[in-house]
Amino acid sequence: MLEIKHLCAGYGRRTIAHDISFMVRGGEILTFIGQNGSGKSTLLKTLAGQIPPLSGEIVIDGRNESDMSRNEIARCVSAMLTDRPKTDMMTCRDVIETGRYPYTGTFGLLGPTDKDAVSEAMRLTDTAELADCFFTEISDGQKQRVMLARAVCREPKILLLDEPTSFLDIHYKLTFLEMLDRLRHERNIAVVMSLHETELAEKISDTVLLLKNGRCTGIGKPSELMGRGSLTEHFDIPEELYIKYHG
Amino acid sequence: MKKRIIGSFLLLLALTLIFIVISITAGSADISPAEVVKILSGGSSDDTSELILLKIRLPRTFAAAILGGALALSGYMLQTYFHNPIAGPFVLGISSGARLTVAIALILAARGAIVLNSALMAAAAFVGALIAMSAVLLMSSKIRSMSLLVVCGVMIGYICTAITDIIVNFADDSDIVNLRGWSVGTFSGFKSESLAVCAVIIFAALTAVFFMSKPISAYQLGESYAVDMGVNIRAVRIAMILLSSLLSGCVAAFAGPVTFVGIAVPFLVKMLFGTAKPLVMIPACFLGGGVFCIISDIIARTVISPSELGISTVTSVLGAPVVLMIMLRKNKERVRD
Repeated sequence: MLEIKHLCAGYGRRTIAHDISFMVRGGEILTFIGQNGSGKSTLLKTLAGQIPPLSGEIVIDGRNESDMSRNEIARCVSAMLTDRPKTDMMTCRDVIETGRYPYTGTFGLLGPTDKDAVSEAMRLTDTAELADCFFTEISDGQKQRVMLARAVCREPKILLLDEPTSFLDIHYKLTFLEMLDRLRHERNIAVVMSLHETELAEKISDTVLLLKNGRCTGIGKPSELMGRGSLTEHFDIPEELYIKYHG
Repeated sequence: MKKRIIGSFLLLLALTLIFIVISITAGSADISPAEVVKILSGGSSDDTSELILLKIRLPRTFAAAILGGALALSGYMLQTYFHNPIAGPFVLGISSGARLTVAIALILAARGAIVLNSALMAAAAFVGALIAMSAVLLMSSKIRSMSLLVVCGVMIGYICTAITDIIVNFADDSDIVNLRGWSVGTFSGFKSESLAVCAVIIFAALTAVFFMSKPISAYQLGESYAVDMGVNIRAVRIAMILLSSLLSGCVAAFAGPVTFVGIAVPFLVKMLFGTAKPLVMIPACFLGGGVFCIISDIIARTVISPSELGISTVTSVLGAPVVLMIMLRKNKERVRD
């Protein structure tokens, strides 16, 4: 379970997201919806520990994140970010295996449990046939799935996904969401993500959090928050444009 | 994969052994391998051969092996740190920085201001390496391009070398007898005391780096992924800087400038092993650097014997083409992307 209390996120003196509070239980999906620059990525980066929170609290399973060691946090929280790892002669299996890092010993060698977790993650993400390909030589969509496998093989309690479907074609977008749906049920993972596809967010999320200029303008069930009126207002879309292309 | 790694290690070990044997037997005075065994077991009657072997060839071969290993390892860490395959202690000016402070220390010692022993000399080199490294780090925060960073490093190297030259020119001739020979780079003339100091520093650093192979592997993926994996990135960075400066400083202090080993060896080793995993690369670079320098040293002292080439002359001839290969390869990757 992840609980965020009055979190302010940003870089140095520049606050980008203000006073955000929410809670996600295991097995639930919370999705940030907002325009480019509304603070979705900044919030996810803060939750992932990439940038320190400016104020507020991040509580994981009742424990304040600031009281946990780096390794403890890494075991609970796994993130899939928008930037790609720099790899040098690494196969997809090598990349996925790096997800087990918080569990491996002094020299980072994988034990049988780790290997099982990796194979299971590869099965779930349909990446087994990519295992021996070099990471640099596969398509963007395939990379996305490999990165998901990497995040999942850690068996985290909380999965953070920043624009997880951005490089996927419609087939993999839908299978990706199906995968996510299965994952959260089977493993009781709490998922926090950002999505641009509002129609997909509406279908898969338990909770959506609307972000506008770094402030939360609404949080609740997608059915309550995501009608046409609220979306056109939230994204500053002229009504006629919405009807023409989206309605 | 595993087979290739084990095979490559065996190949490197075999090469090391073969070239150690060649290195201690070849030269103006021929000492056959059988004689070497005899001398080492204490049953030799030939005092000259014994002297040449124990006082000249063995220390020289040992120096080439461990200092070469140190250079390659230092280069590997710098490449990992900067995510730049052509970073190395020499092109980034770190070796030259170390030489500058060592020159200052040597002159101070010659004037009687300080008493210089090998440990102090290593310390001076470490300080100089760190100063040059700080300058590079300062610039790297502003520069994203890998080739520009190297150009900046080369400039820092030139500045340090120029200052060294000025200092040496103003020093009395008697102060700098040692400096002249040292400015071309060589593995010869090691006193057993300095060799011992080198060995302690280098093997301690090698062990430390080896135990860091896990966080280094995380660092390789880029900062955000290292953080995601729970790595204390600041600590890893500082450790990498300190250790690579210590290693390259040590070489610069005792052997003078030895170019291109730090770039060429990690690349060749990576190609041989087919992996860039630190757990493999760290010991492999050390071994590879040793072999590379033993071979270079054999060439340096045999091709124009009884005279000698500077070690950098040989390492440049062998190493510079490899660097060109790396750059062409990188360029190809960029075009393909």
